[in-house]
Amino acid sequence: MSAVERLDLDDAPPLARAPWWRALLADPAAALALLVFMAIVAAAILAPVLAPFDPAESSRAMMRPPAWAARGLPQHLLGTDGQGRDILSRLLHGARLTLLIGLVAVTVGGGVGSLLGLLGAFYPRLDPWIMRGADVMLSFPAILLGLALVAVMGAGVAPVIIALAIATIPDSARIARSIAESVMKQEFIEAGRAVGLSDAALFTRYLARNCVSSIMVFMSLRFGQVILLGAALSFLGLGARPPAAELGMMASQGRDAMLLAPHVAIIPSLAIFVIVLTVNIAGDALRDVLDPRLRT
Amino acid sequence: MIHALTNRLLLSIPVLIGALVFGFLLIKMAPGDPAQVMAGPSATPDIVAEIRREMGLDKPVLTQLGLYAARLAQGDWGRSLISNKTVLSELGAAFGPTVELMFASMVWSVPLGVGLGTLAAVKRGSWIDRAIMAVSVAGVSLPIFFIALVLMQFLGVTLRLLPFMGRGGPLWSVDGLRHIAIPALSLGLIFIGPVARMTRSSVLEVLRLDHVRTARAKGLSETRVILRHALRNALIPVVTLIGLQAGYLLGGAVVTETIFSYPGIGRLAVGAILSSDFPLAQGAILLLALGFIGINMLVDMLYAVLDPRSHKA
Repeated sequence: MSAVERLDLDDAPPLARAPWWRALLADPAAALALLVFMAIVAAAILAPVLAPFDPAESSRAMMRPPAWAARGLPQHLLGTDGQGRDILSRLLHGARLTLLIGLVAVTVGGGVGSLLGLLGAFYPRLDPWIMRGADVMLSFPAILLGLALVAVMGAGVAPVIIALAIATIPDSARIARSIAESVMKQEFIEAGRAVGLSDAALFTRYLARNCVSSIMVFMSLRFGQVILLGAALSFLGLGARPPAAELGMMASQGRDAMLLAPHVAIIPSLAIFVIVLTVNIAGDALRDVLDPRLRT
Repeated sequence: MIHALTNRLLLSIPVLIGALVFGFLLIKMAPGDPAQVMAGPSATPDIVAEIRREMGLDKPVLTQLGLYAARLAQGDWGRSLISNKTVLSELGAAFGPTVELMFASMVWSVPLGVGLGTLAAVKRGSWIDRAIMAVSVAGVSLPIFFIALVLMQFLGVTLRLLPFMGRGGPLWSVDGLRHIAIPALSLGLIFIGPVARMTRSSVLEVLRLDHVRTARAKGLSETRVILRHALRNALIPVVTLIGLQAGYLLGGAVVTETIFSYPGIGRLAVGAILSSDFPLAQGAILLLALGFIGINMLVDMLYAVLDPRSHKA
C-alpha cells in the first residue's frame, strides 16, 4: 500500500515540480522585480531596526526636501513631512503595514476561496452552490464592501482587511476550481481512488498539493490589486488611523502640500507603485512559467 | 437574453439583501434614537414617536428589517444628519455627476485600450507588443491617487491649463467639460491597462480560430481580417470583462471624486462615513449597490445582443 502510494506521488505532480525559479531567473525583468520586491519586504520587516527615527516623532524641521536637494538635512535622507516626521522612517513602517494588510487579506481570503473552489471541483454536488455563492459575492465590489464595513465598524485597519479578504474569496474560488478541474481529470486521481485512498487523503495529497503552485501565482497577482485598494481606502481616511504610518495615508497627508513639498505625497505613492509593479511583473512571469492556462 | 436576465435578477437578490442589512445596521448604529435619526434633528417629538411606531422598533429585528425595506421602497430614505436635506435629494444631486465622470472616463479609455490591445495581439512578440504590455502593467500598478495628484499638479497648477476643483456644470457645457477633463483623464488612465490586457488575450484567442484562417485564405487584406473577422468576435468577452471591472472603476471614481472635490456619489459616501452621517452613508451605499446591479444587467443584455450564440440558450 505505502509503496503504491509513494510511487503515485512521485509520478503525480505535473505542475508542482517545474523548475519555476530557473525559468523566472532567465527572464531578467522578472528576476529584477522579484529581487526588488524581496528587498522591500526585508526592509519592511526590519523597519524597527532600520528606521533612523521613530515614525511618529515630529520635529521642528517640517516639510524638508530629501537630503540631496537644497534645504535638505543630512539626517533626514528622504526629507520630512508636514509635522516634521522623518519620511524614510515612516516609509519603512508604512510599507510594513501596507504589506501586512495585503498579505493578511490575500492569505485569509485566498485561502478560504481556494478551499471552496477545490471542494467544488472535488465534490460536484457542492459545486453549483459554491459557484452561485461566488457569483453573488462578485456582484458586491470590493470598494463598496470596504465603504459599508467602515461605515459600520468605523475607520481602521480591521474593516479594510476584512473587506479585502472577503472581496478576494470569489475570484480565488473560481480560479482554484478551474485549476482543480484539470487536475481532477488526471489519471493519478483515478489511481488514488483505485488504491482505496480516503477522500481526505485524495483531496489533500493528490488534489490540493497539485493545485497549490498555480493558486499561489494567482494570489501574487491578486496581492497587487489588494494593496492598491487598501492604500486607496487609507488614502480616503477610511483605513489606518494616525499616528500609525501607512503608505496610502502618508500620500493623503502630503496631498495638501503638493505645491510646497511634493515629495511628501510622491515618495509614498512611488513606494506603492514599486511594490505593486514588482509583484505584478514577477507574478506575470511566474504565471507564464507555471501555468500558461491562467493567462487572462 | 431572457435567461441571462433572469439569472442576473436572481443573483441580485442576495446582493440587495446584503446592502439592505448594511443600510439597516447603519441606521440602527446611529447614536441615539434611530427614529430621531430618521426624522432628522429638527423633528418634533410627535413625529419622532410616529416614526418609532412606523419603524416598529418594538418588533423583532427581522420585522424591523422588512419595515425598513418597505420604507425604502416607498422613497423614504431618511434625512442627512448634517445638511438636514432628504437623503434622496442629496443622492439625486450626486448621481448625475458620477455617471458623467464614469462616461467621460470610459469614452476615451475603452477605445484606446481596445486599440492598444489589438495592436499588441497583432504584433505579438514584437517590441510594440512588449512596449504596450509594459505600459499596461505599469498602468495597473499605479495608485489612482498618485495619477490624480500628479495630473492635478502638472495640468492644473503648473501649466494652469484646466480647473481641477469641483464641477463646472453639465457635461455638455464648456465649463463642465473643462472641469471634468483632469478627473476623467485620471480615472480613464487606470482603465486603459486592464482593457488593453483583456483585449490582447481575447484577440489572440480569436486569431487562432478557423474562420480567421478562412478569411486569410480567401485573400482578404490583413486589416480587414483583423477588424471584421477577429476584433468583432474578440470584443464579446471584452464587454463582459469591462462589466466585471465596473467595481474597479467605481473604486477609482470614489478616490477621484474625493481628490478633485467632484460632487458625486463616491465623495458623498466617503464624506458621510467620515462625518458619521449614518442615514446619508446608508443611502449612498444602497444606491451604489443598486447602480452596480444595474451595470451588471446592462452588460448581460449587451452580451446577449452581441453574441448570437447566447440567443439559443
